[in-house]
Amino acid sequence: MPTVTIEPSGEVIYLEPDETVLSGLYKAGYAYTIGCRRGGCAICKVDCRAGEFHYNRPIADTVINETERADGTCLSCRAVPDGDITIEMRGENVRLVNPFLRQINEKARLRAEAKQAADAERLTSTTTKE
Amino acid sequence: MAVMRMGYVHARVTDLAEAKEHYANTLGLYETHSEPGKVFYKGWDEWDHHSVVLEEGGVGVAKFGFKVEYESDIDAIEKKAQDFGLTVERMSAGDNLEVSDGIRFTSPSEHVFEVYHSQKVIGTEVGTHNPDAFPRHLVGVGVPALDHALILAENVRKMEDMFKAVFDFFPTERVQTDLNDDDAHFIASWMTCNNQIHQIAVLEGEQSKLHHFAFKLDNWDQVGRAADLFSMDDVPIDIGPTRHGITRGQTIYFFDPAGNRNEVFAGGYPAYRDRPINKWTPDAIAKGIFYHARELNERFTTVYT
Repeated sequence: MPTVTIEPSGEVIYLEPDETVLSGLYKAGYAYTIGCRRGGCAICKVDCRAGEFHYNRPIADTVINETERADGTCLSCRAVPDGDITIEMRGENVRLVNPFLRQINEKARLRAEAKQAADAERLTSTTTKE
Repeated sequence: MAVMRMGYVHARVTDLAEAKEHYANTLGLYETHSEPGKVFYKGWDEWDHHSVVLEEGGVGVAKFGFKVEYESDIDAIEKKAQDFGLTVERMSAGDNLEVSDGIRFTSPSEHVFEVYHSQKVIGTEVGTHNPDAFPRHLVGVGVPALDHALILAENVRKMEDMFKAVFDFFPTERVQTDLNDDDAHFIASWMTCNNQIHQIAVLEGEQSKLHHFAFKLDNWDQVGRAADLFSMDDVPIDIGPTRHGITRGQTIYFFDPAGNRNEVFAGGYPAYRDRPINKWTPDAIAKGIFYHARELNERFTTVYT
């Protein structure tokens, strides 16, 4: 389950596999400046500070130019994280507009932490046996 | 008579397969030709070969085509365009599939306009012999025809001058900073050449960009039904259903799968050359654009392709 950490708040969003950054943030109850939601208007760009992502559709050169393809610019409606990534909003911060949805993200966090703990324990017991 | 109507929009899309799903299955346009990387459509109530061309690669608008009544109108418009200071080139029959010869020029707003006098006639889907009211098996929204487009330009007044001088269009509504035209800065202008309330509109903004192109619907019921279908098909709705104060049209703004804004537009009062122009001042622009919300969402001026 890839995560998106939003700087500067440090809020961690849990995404489904193949889910876009925009979809993940909105599903967790957050809003920010978005437009067409289909990769055409370029308004939902954020900066990727750590981690890798790819685009799930071709993106027009007028939307993401050559420089932007290499400088961490992340068109959030079409960007799918390849693993855990950290993003920073441009000129604004995300706004929590649906607290109910944030509870779902909180549950995803608890599940992920429980799984991590279980994995760690399994690893420890395996190591001990050896 | 010179220009009769905006005959076609040629738009760019990033993924043709997804675009086809939207324009054919959600909007219900009829595919009239397809080739690698390109598809041609018409609405059920249109008789010419196509009104929408989609080309894979990029986003936004490649060009607009305006149809004149007579072949001789082409020469007259070419002269007017040259007199206005535009560089005009001739296009041959076949430059555009099933479209006649004509002229092409780039406007001061850096949009490409073509003028032609005929297209291959296919006929409407109900025909002309004792026709029924609509085709029984429409797909999705089933839009009957292309309606109008809104483009962006740095100099709206100059674009209005161009449409008046070259195409003999007239403005029906405007957003302007002062009611006195001489003192005013033009923010937006809605123009036509016949009784349709607008065929082209120009809003102050980035050169060469497309704000939206629109399809015709008959009434509120159809607009509401279209909105339901957009939810079913996960089409992102920008705003609506609502009404425009300007034109009085009933509307939904939504996005195609490449992010180009589309609109379905119903109503609008009849335009006449001698009808005084409706003038909106910037303090009322929100009501002019979105008559019910009376609040201009930030996307209206920032989101375009």
